[in-house]
Amino acid sequence: MSVAPAIRLTDVHKRYEKREVLAGISLDVAPGSRLGLIGPAASGKSVILKLIAGLEQADGGTVTVLDHVLTGKREVQLGVVRRRIGMLFQNYALFDFLTVERNVAFPLEQRGGMTAHAIAERVAERLRAVGLFGSEHKLTAELSGGMKKRVGIARATVADAELVIYDEPTAGLDPVTTQKIYDLLAADHVRTKATVIAVSSDVAALAGFVDEIAFLYHGKIIYRGPAATIADAPDPMVRQFVRGELEGPLQDVRPEAP
Amino acid sequence: MIGERWMIALGAGATRISQEVGGILILTAQVLRALVPPRIDRRELVKNLYKMGNRSVPIVALTAFFAGALMVLQAGPFVKKFGATSLAGYGAGYAVLREIGPILIALMFSGRVGANNTAELATMTVTEQLDGLRSLAIDPVAFLVVPRVLAMMVMLVALTALGDLVALGGAAIVARSMLDIDWSTMYFSMADNLRPADFLLGIYKSVAFGAAIAMSSCYFGIAVRGGAVGVGKAVNAAVVAAAVSIMLLDFFMTYLVGG
Repeated sequence: MSVAPAIRLTDVHKRYEKREVLAGISLDVAPGSRLGLIGPAASGKSVILKLIAGLEQADGGTVTVLDHVLTGKREVQLGVVRRRIGMLFQNYALFDFLTVERNVAFPLEQRGGMTAHAIAERVAERLRAVGLFGSEHKLTAELSGGMKKRVGIARATVADAELVIYDEPTAGLDPVTTQKIYDLLAADHVRTKATVIAVSSDVAALAGFVDEIAFLYHGKIIYRGPAATIADAPDPMVRQFVRGELEGPLQDVRPEAP
Repeated sequence: MIGERWMIALGAGATRISQEVGGILILTAQVLRALVPPRIDRRELVKNLYKMGNRSVPIVALTAFFAGALMVLQAGPFVKKFGATSLAGYGAGYAVLREIGPILIALMFSGRVGANNTAELATMTVTEQLDGLRSLAIDPVAFLVVPRVLAMMVMLVALTALGDLVALGGAAIVARSMLDIDWSTMYFSMADNLRPADFLLGIYKSVAFGAAIAMSSCYFGIAVRGGAVGVGKAVNAAVVAAAVSIMLLDFFMTYLVGG
């Protein structure tokens, strides 16, 4: 008997005013696997992540996550699925009215079922893992971009979610920290066996973390293959993108997404 | 051609206002829904009560003092001329309790608290903090908007009651020091003529003004589009909408109770 995918997108369309961002995306992600999404700027990568988290609704097609159809569902119904998802936002989305410690503790506090002591221990462990132990009482406004990103990772992973979504987990970080972060994410994955979907512009680092990579172009997934061999993908557009070559079939640059 | 452009502009303006009024009404319905049964984050509520109420006391007291003082100062020459000093307290109190107090304090509250609230929510919206809450299965309306609406309504009522007291005090001080009307004349002028209904009308108005300020400031905060420019526009729109709402509500509430 085959196992149902943790994420299933079926012919998903998404439009912002006149611009079609997603033009019929179909995608399956098996439970426990790690998929990377790459593509030119404004190709709809973050939109796909928001559809999976139920933060946006598709204009057409079906989005199914952890056995729940999200399409057309109300906020209360979406909450049932969101409690099983951890998400790192591209722009951190940290709560600036809370300290670092309370930002990370927030998902656990809201879910309930844990003592204050257990939450404090779990938060301390996560902050130690991302190298921010000692910064618990700082407000997020006092942190650098890299530190904010690490707080976001700690918050996304603190509840051991079944599905973790990373939108640019290492953007703005130096190469050493980038590697440390991916090592941390990989160690977390070994421990939790969560399904992971990640978007990153740092293709080389992403390829070291995920199992497969999908290439998004003009609102469609035009290639999907093993991460380890992405630089030698049979599709010339993917090769050009991954290698950063100026010459090749990939030439047009689309306007920024809203 | 000019007429056509004028019509297009008028239509666009009417559409925009309809959208905004509709948005505020939908948000109001969401807030009411979140109150049954109450799902209020107590920590957020207490924080907002303190921030919006306590910190507004000095500016409200100052405004109210001079509002009361001005009422007496304006009426001074006439009450002196006609020997009607026994009506000075009544006149000042009547105007302050029913009109000047609630309106001035509400406008001050809108400028200080409402604008700040819009800027805060708008910044949270453009930095995806509201999406961050939703991703954790937390309803941003229940978590952020409801405590703010309650805090603004409660605190505007409290500040109006305090402001009424300070304004009457300001009126008495100016009457004594600048118009030689003694304390007892002012006191009995107020006590004998002012009715509880005069005070209550001002309080009812402050409830309505508080709701208008809260709903417009929260709506424009969470409906913001764009970055820093959008935040600025949202604050502007919220303050204008609140001021217009205050004047409209005041007119209709005064009209309904017969002036």
